[in-house]
Amino acid sequence: MLAFATLQTQTSDLLPAGKAHLRDTTQDGARALETFLAEVERKAFRIAQIALRHEADALDAVQDAMMQLAHRYASRPAAEWKPLFYRILENRIRDMQRRRIVRQRVMSWMPWRGDEEEEAPDPIAQAADTGPLPPAQLESDQMMHALEQALEQLPGRQRQAFLLRNIEGLDVADTAAAMKCSQGSVKTHYFRALQALRSKLGDFAT
Amino acid sequence: MNSGTDEPSAFEQRARLLLNESVERLPAGVRSRLTQARHAALEGRRSWQRSLVRRWAPAGAGAFAVAVIAVMFTMMPQGEGPAISANGPFSTAAPEDLEMLADSDGVPLNGDQDLDNDFYEWAASEAKGAGAPSVGT
Repeated sequence: MLAFATLQTQTSDLLPAGKAHLRDTTQDGARALETFLAEVERKAFRIAQIALRHEADALDAVQDAMMQLAHRYASRPAAEWKPLFYRILENRIRDMQRRRIVRQRVMSWMPWRGDEEEEAPDPIAQAADTGPLPPAQLESDQMMHALEQALEQLPGRQRQAFLLRNIEGLDVADTAAAMKCSQGSVKTHYFRALQALRSKLGDFAT
Repeated sequence: MNSGTDEPSAFEQRARLLLNESVERLPAGVRSRLTQARHAALEGRRSWQRSLVRRWAPAGAGAFAVAVIAVMFTMMPQGEGPAISANGPFSTAAPEDLEMLADSDGVPLNGDQDLDNDFYEWAASEAKGAGAPSVGT
């Protein structure tokens, strides 16, 4: 195996000057993919976290989406990566939500096992930050908390449309591609999400 | 109504600002785990590509060898082939000789097997009995 790897390395090093672009193209593709993933990973995590309300599950969903994109769709044009990535992520989120519902139903029949299966919270992560927060940040945190609560109560498709448009900044066409629906449906979901949030948050914007 | 195609309203602008702030203020632990996840995804892709090469390399080498052998046989000049030699028994045979050999109605070449012996014996006995000169004299 080591010999094969060495041979492979030597072979790639011995590529003639005319064929060097093949190696460069592969490396450029890997670099472009890494740049893309680095660009979207935090926003994707926030979208997954708001939908799943669980940090570890959100991290798992983002990692699964990254792996699937890298394995299956890396050869697609880079312009298609973003809608594809968010479609994969949304599928993962939905899978996790379904699995959670099934697990809750099963656990409701076995109430004595429910507490054992729960992951113990990390005491350090749970510890409150005792340092004083600047008033502006405190206000911002409170508003973010209110927005998150309002988003959690939205139907899945409305929340997805709102988050893709406002966290990721996708346009209507890319949002439709990510949600696998028509642009008209995206506009409808988005409009309803906006109405629902406005009715819940009131003068949030002022 | 703002359906997403017009300029964002004040409400949307405020929401975007808050959401972007929350993205920027992710805890260091989460950011670190996201970086690890990204590297794992990229490394997984590289190892998958390597395993693909390892899996198909022997088959590719075999197919290439078969193709090279086939091309060598196809391109080899006929004079050098082992089946037909320039010094062989058929090298100087004319086409009419070959036709004669192939003709089943012609004179048989192998006398021991195919000559009509009864006819010649009868002809010889007739010639002796009649005192006639032998055939050809």
